[in-house]
Amino acid sequence: MKEISQSLDDMLSDYLEGNLTKADNEKIERGLKENRAWQVRYEELKRVHSLLAQTAIEHPSKNFTASVMSKLSQYQAPRDFPLRNSILLLMGVLVAIGITTFLLAGGAYDNSNTSIDLNQLAIPKNITKTPLPSFEFSGKTIVNGVIILNLAIAWILLDRAILKPFFQKRIQAGH
Amino acid sequence: MTNDPEHSRIERILAGEEHLYAEMVDKHKSYAYTIAQKILQNRPEAEEATQDAFIKAYHHLKGFNRQSKFSTWLYRIVFNTAISYKRKNRQQFQSLENTFVEYRAEGEGMLEKTDRRKYLNLAMAKLNEADRAALTLFYLEEFSLEEIAEITGMQANTAKVRIHRARQRLADELKNLLNHEALTL
Repeated sequence: MKEISQSLDDMLSDYLEGNLTKADNEKIERGLKENRAWQVRYEELKRVHSLLAQTAIEHPSKNFTASVMSKLSQYQAPRDFPLRNSILLLMGVLVAIGITTFLLAGGAYDNSNTSIDLNQLAIPKNITKTPLPSFEFSGKTIVNGVIILNLAIAWILLDRAILKPFFQKRIQAGH
Repeated sequence: MTNDPEHSRIERILAGEEHLYAEMVDKHKSYAYTIAQKILQNRPEAEEATQDAFIKAYHHLKGFNRQSKFSTWLYRIVFNTAISYKRKNRQQFQSLENTFVEYRAEGEGMLEKTDRRKYLNLAMAKLNEADRAALTLFYLEEFSLEEIAEITGMQANTAKVRIHRARQRLADELKNLLNHEALTL
């Protein structure tokens, strides 16, 4: 079991670095004179401190700078979205478009028309004097819109995440 | 904004004087390499990570907001690059246990000066990367606690506590490694 508490360990560390107030400094010095466990711990910390104080700067290879300078133009910024994820997402979008188009062609949305009649809302009669309009919605039109939106997303994905990085890589390889 | 004299050199590099970057690399490469080496504990990998960090820093010079010293900003990139190298290649590193067995077989009972460094390095290897880097930066005596905190992405108070705790753990590890012989070092 550890004989020294964490707070005392921290105080001994501060003492070692000379960061204690005068009162705390005296307290530690008194403790170090009287308590063997404190002395042992302080010696352990002091010896690690003196070993660490010999920490020396290390030097890289002689051609380090030349190597960095020669690689400056080869840098490729990290991709925001990994290629594998881009391909998976693109495939997902294309599959969704395929299924929806198949259902649309099979007439699955032919009868899915709906309308919203604003007169059915519970609005007090004294507010609306003339009848409110009603809106007709064709399921087929909405699904067509969704397909067009998905096609646009698929195109942007293909361009930004796959084609653009691919051609940039080819251009760099050509230099 | 700080009055870092390197800011004017950065302006010139951004204006197209790319060769001036070589002077900055020369000036900072050893500190940067030391940080990477302490984190990775593998020389070739530390060299590669440090080079990567310098290249990244060059390409992000425009984004350096001059609120801090260039060196602090650069060493933060070095720190993050080395940490990501460590995470990527963790499985390739030699385990401390293997190193320890190998070392004991050849050096048991000897506590020469070079052994002290070896034992310290073995104990250091038991600390995590951020603690090793924080201790190294602290003992290189180049940076204030605030700067160490900025480089390692901590609060200044956290950095101080972390350095204390890392040193305490190091003392414990050394004691274990030396079978209570630490006092005779």
